[in-house]
Amino acid sequence: MPINPARQSTDDPRVTLDRALGVFEPVPPYPPRTEREAEFYTLGDGEMFINVGPQHPSTHGVLRVVLKLDGEKVVDLDPVLGYLHRGVEKLCENADYHQAICYTDPLEYVSSLFNEWAPVLAFEKLMDVGVPRRAEYIRVLSSELNRIASHALFLGWMALDLGGLTPILWSFIERDEIVDMLAALTGQRMLFNYFRIGGVNGDLNHEFMSRLGDWMTKATKQVDSGTALLNENEIFVRRMRGLGTIDTPTALRMVMSGPNLRATGVPFDVRRAHPYSVFPELEFDIPTRTEGDCLARYLLRMDEIRQSLRIIDQCLHNMPDGPVMARLPRLLRPRPGRAYAAVEGPRGQYSTYVISDGTDQPFRMRIHDPSFIHLQAVGLMMPGHLIADTMAIMASFDPIMGGIDK
Amino acid sequence: MDRHFRTRLEARFAAQLTGPVRQRHDETEIRIGAGDVVSVLTALHDEPDLHFQFLSDLAGVDTGEVMQVVYHLWSETTPDWLRVTADGLSRDDPRVPSVTFLWKGAEWMEREAYDMFGITFEGNRDLRRIYMPPDYQSHPLRKDFLLADDAARSPGGGVRPMERTQTPRNAPTTAIVRRTSA
Repeated sequence: MPINPARQSTDDPRVTLDRALGVFEPVPPYPPRTEREAEFYTLGDGEMFINVGPQHPSTHGVLRVVLKLDGEKVVDLDPVLGYLHRGVEKLCENADYHQAICYTDPLEYVSSLFNEWAPVLAFEKLMDVGVPRRAEYIRVLSSELNRIASHALFLGWMALDLGGLTPILWSFIERDEIVDMLAALTGQRMLFNYFRIGGVNGDLNHEFMSRLGDWMTKATKQVDSGTALLNENEIFVRRMRGLGTIDTPTALRMVMSGPNLRATGVPFDVRRAHPYSVFPELEFDIPTRTEGDCLARYLLRMDEIRQSLRIIDQCLHNMPDGPVMARLPRLLRPRPGRAYAAVEGPRGQYSTYVISDGTDQPFRMRIHDPSFIHLQAVGLMMPGHLIADTMAIMASFDPIMGGIDK
Repeated sequence: MDRHFRTRLEARFAAQLTGPVRQRHDETEIRIGAGDVVSVLTALHDEPDLHFQFLSDLAGVDTGEVMQVVYHLWSETTPDWLRVTADGLSRDDPRVPSVTFLWKGAEWMEREAYDMFGITFEGNRDLRRIYMPPDYQSHPLRKDFLLADDAARSPGGGVRPMERTQTPRNAPTTAIVRRTSA
């Protein structure tokens, strides 16, 4: 029996919603609208649908996935997005350039500094603003810390999705130290709102530097002990090896980026491929692996933590003196024009494309998020795997729903 | 700015370009018609001296006068970002060929542009709404979609500065309040 009376859609005459929204059945209550939808929602011999989500602990946010099963094997899956959609792009068009930065913070909420960096970089290009060198170094320093925090969280979540509770407790210890450090620097634990057009919102302070100094002396040891917990765990390694394999041509066709692309052997890293900030001056390697499976994606992120520690070390040694903000008018009205900027985040390439019409608000602000791209690749590697592997494969891509749903 | 790249593009795509090649900072921009999207992007992707294998971004744009689809590409053959703008799509029925035959991962970005702007990507086999519910009526990022829709007509409408800047008093809700030729 329907909970609400029938409601006729006004958009698509083929769509009739005769059930209450919020009650999820796997098959949509209207005929298929596209080729792919028709193909997916046609059952073969012995197949069935199962609805996962939108509230499910393993989907890293509010994601609904419809699985098509043959026994316990997954044949195909159809992610249904939009439960976290806030319309950030539209909000940014109605805010001025300074305000737009804080709307981008909650996108990928575990790596907020990268969400800020891409629009800030695009705005600076649009306005021809130079950034003081000290501010560039502080940006690199704080964002690499944020990358480590994000990767540490990935380690914990991934093990949790496989059923291991211990690593997340360990990785939260690591992450909390970094997050408290960044709170001392920026004033906030997660949604920092720290980068400004032309610099950063405050110089390094004593509390941050002393916490960072303490942490740096033990960081390598802590990372090693945290990863040893999983690297030498036979259950974990045997479970992850060969799971969710993706090859290089497919990864490029799926426009993947970041660690997920590098795990297939492509050394594409925006910090080197299209350098920004002071990365050309810094020494670090781009770790790659060739297997392209879940284990490779996990190990690659652990290698990246070590490279980030190298970068932080160099930043601390080479930190120049000087101002941390360029002198700018309070009201910014860039000339009409377009700018595009990309940064390498923990999950891949974050980029922002901004169009100015000469007013103090962006005319159009496009935010590109790597998790959005990676989630659609999950369906490709599912066929033949078990239901439990869905969550393991999804976790190995490290998607954050806040960024996917914008 | 890669001046040499500009001359290469001008020579290779002389027939397809609808405007001058623009360069600023580390970006090179070319504008083409919607009909040339397949040939230009295939050439950019396949030819070894161009070799744009990496699609960085696909965005829809509503300038208030026309619709555009903007592709950002990366290649190791140039230090610039290449921006390919498919220009001059009509606002009433914007249509452009899909690039999913080159980059399957563009499928969701095209779904997003369809959802937000109503741009039809011909050849995309899964062109449904991706964020908004299936029975939703409008396309939220179009310039004739005002936040006024749900806010300014309420009793407190026009009080918050954010809503006021977007909604001139007495303007019909279908009016386009911002246009640009940038």
